[in-house]
Amino acid sequence: MNKSLPIILGLIMSFFVQFKSNAQTPWDEVMMGKNEICIALIYEHSTWDKYWEGTRLRENANIGTLTRQMGMPMIALGLTSKVNIIASLPYIATKASGGTQVGQSGIQDLSVSAKVEWLQKRITGGRLLFLTNLHYSRPVGNYLSDYMPFSLGFGAPELGLRAIAGYKMDNGLVFRSSIAYLKRGQTEIERNYYYQNGSVYSQFMNVPDAFNFHAAIGYWFLENQLRLEATYQLLNCLSGDDIRAYNAPQPTNKMEVSQVGAWAQYYIKGRQGLGVLAYYNYAVGGRNMGQFSSLGLGLTYQLELTKK
Amino acid sequence: MNKYITSIAILLTVGFCNISCIEETPSYFEFEDYSFSELDENGGLMNTFLLGDIEEIALEAPQTGRAQELDDIKLLMSSMTKDETKAVEYWTSNPIIRWNEIALELAAKYNLIPGPNEDGTYTLPNPANPQGPPAFPFAHPPYTSRALAYLSVAQFDGLVAAWHCKYKFKLNSPYQEDSGIIPAYSKNNLPSFPSDGAVVAKVSKDILSAMFPLEKDFLEGLFQEHLRSMLQAGINFKSDLDAGELIGSEISKIALQRASTDGMSKAQTPKPVSDSIKNAAFERFGWAWENMESPKRPVGLTPLFGKVKMWNVSNVEEVRPGPPPAPGSDQFNKDAEELKRFANNLTVEQRKIANWWQDGLGTYTPPGHWNKFAKEAIVKNKLNPLRSAKVFAYMNTAIVDAGISCWDAKYYYHYPRPIQTIPGFKTILGTPNFPAYTSGHSTFSAAGAVVLSYFFPEDQSMFNKYAEEAAMSRVYGGIHYRFDAEVGIEQGRNVGSYAVEKAKNDRVK
Repeated sequence: MNKSLPIILGLIMSFFVQFKSNAQTPWDEVMMGKNEICIALIYEHSTWDKYWEGTRLRENANIGTLTRQMGMPMIALGLTSKVNIIASLPYIATKASGGTQVGQSGIQDLSVSAKVEWLQKRITGGRLLFLTNLHYSRPVGNYLSDYMPFSLGFGAPELGLRAIAGYKMDNGLVFRSSIAYLKRGQTEIERNYYYQNGSVYSQFMNVPDAFNFHAAIGYWFLENQLRLEATYQLLNCLSGDDIRAYNAPQPTNKMEVSQVGAWAQYYIKGRQGLGVLAYYNYAVGGRNMGQFSSLGLGLTYQLELTKK
Repeated sequence: MNKYITSIAILLTVGFCNISCIEETPSYFEFEDYSFSELDENGGLMNTFLLGDIEEIALEAPQTGRAQELDDIKLLMSSMTKDETKAVEYWTSNPIIRWNEIALELAAKYNLIPGPNEDGTYTLPNPANPQGPPAFPFAHPPYTSRALAYLSVAQFDGLVAAWHCKYKFKLNSPYQEDSGIIPAYSKNNLPSFPSDGAVVAKVSKDILSAMFPLEKDFLEGLFQEHLRSMLQAGINFKSDLDAGELIGSEISKIALQRASTDGMSKAQTPKPVSDSIKNAAFERFGWAWENMESPKRPVGLTPLFGKVKMWNVSNVEEVRPGPPPAPGSDQFNKDAEELKRFANNLTVEQRKIANWWQDGLGTYTPPGHWNKFAKEAIVKNKLNPLRSAKVFAYMNTAIVDAGISCWDAKYYYHYPRPIQTIPGFKTILGTPNFPAYTSGHSTFSAAGAVVLSYFFPEDQSMFNKYAEEAAMSRVYGGIHYRFDAEVGIEQGRNVGSYAVEKAKNDRVK
């Protein structure tokens, strides 16, 4: 461990951000114990009827309202109480109420992440936590990223590194914030010429890297059985072009979104067994994105694997 | 704990490889400098498209001053900045390639359809107020095909004149005059006066500035860079460039004179004219195409593009195809059923074909796609600038003629699109704002393929396959019936054969 520590510390780690499906995730400063396993199934319903073309918020009657539905199984495993592994694989379907273009459906990106708790320290009135999360995701199946706004995702691998800091007070209040750098690769498209501030003769598009900031204030009720949170999230691509006038978006765009949300999670009988969760997010600002509002509902089931 | 660290390290490694294995995304065609497969000493005798008597361009050989020019070139070459060195590499000894790419880039930049205003009306691009919004032009396929034809014809006619003068005066290039000058490109025995590159630069700047008026400054910058690069490449004297410019401006005038009176300015009609065209079709055939967008566009795209003056065909009706099957007929039903089948069970391969050939909004259009093929064949066959311009001129005049013929059919037959005739039909491609029959992709592509097959017979089967794939791509995409595509291919081949006939009759093959 000691020999590997510098290597690991060298990696600023990430947290799993479901930017692509615009969901908030259940993964935060909470860690599961060794051999605990949690299975979750999340359904999310998102819509927008306005989108930012560059920074201009507009409507488009040939899209009308765009609806995006996601069903996502997720599994988390406590390798130790300090190291958790999380994996998810969303299924997504899109459709538009206006126009004549057909929506898409299929499996989006497989995501695997490793969350490590580095520090847990008692200070006045509570505990200070520091965690990191490293995540990697890549498209599975053959969805086409270059069919926006109907495409299921941006179609490129992503490596994310996140640092999470939390302060959990003994009275149940939780403050949390995190920052992440999301390194994206290229997406293969089905043409070998496109325009991105000039001609590009390639069958690949560079998906811009992004920065993510996340903050939450939460409160644990009912002896830690119910958690409520108010959240804020910012996700900004660090490069990229704008959607051109009345033109379709493409994966090279500089997407930005800031959203506010609320989150509730209820463990029906304490940490083990069945839980439910619900969340709502609304985009208050953005660029080259739909102005999404998303409602998510989920079931979780947590159990401890017996040691052999 | 160690095994977890190992897993994390593996995850990281896999992720990093996956992300950092980056394919190149070049903005122009990078190719090795080549020596021309032939020089075409008789090129000055080739038949021109617009230029009458070459001798009318009064060009006098420079009597004095070449020695001083040589010193200037040496000075310029000895103090090149990094950007200037890059410019010399970029322009190459066949700048036809570059100016064609610049035209395609501008087409892609301006190929944006005007969106609706707040009140649901549409404002059309206006050449009298190019700034807009919307900016002028909307470089849709008809517009782009025509712009490319003028560009290529002006380049070709200009180079025929240049070749004529080159072999009349037979003046050496700087590196032939002075062995101390090492040219940036492969040496050849092409006489240096007048500069072929300067002819190309001048006509290209002029034609493209007229076609894309908001890009005048951008084009002027490229023009200056190109001129300078020829001096710094050691291939031309300043007086070669001046003479090339002179030829270029004469040719530009002739080409732009034709462009101002070819009927294009009337192609986008007002609504009453558009309505009468539609009513005429309805009375004749009992059907009519409607725009299905919201808000509905009041006029289709360039209803009178079919009346624009053709290059190689004397009368558009001569190449008009017969009527399509009536909606509801057996033939129609069969092809409509096929569209539903594709929509429900499109294979990944078919989807790829639909997208590969889409060349829709924001791209260089199908004519642009064929210009890319021509470019690649030209470099592969190491053609000199004159030969290159000839290929582009014959192909692009064939392509715009195919477009004119296609638009004639589109608005004569005024045939509805699948989204109009098949209730609830949804497509993966956007349906364009003009009637279905015949398919533009099919006619443009077949005409391009016929001409490229004439110049590059060894690749004939590839060009034919491309054209047929481009035609079927619209059927897979749900925006054309099979009969639109099949008749379009026939029509395009027919129109293209006029250009091939003309090429066969050239004095210099």
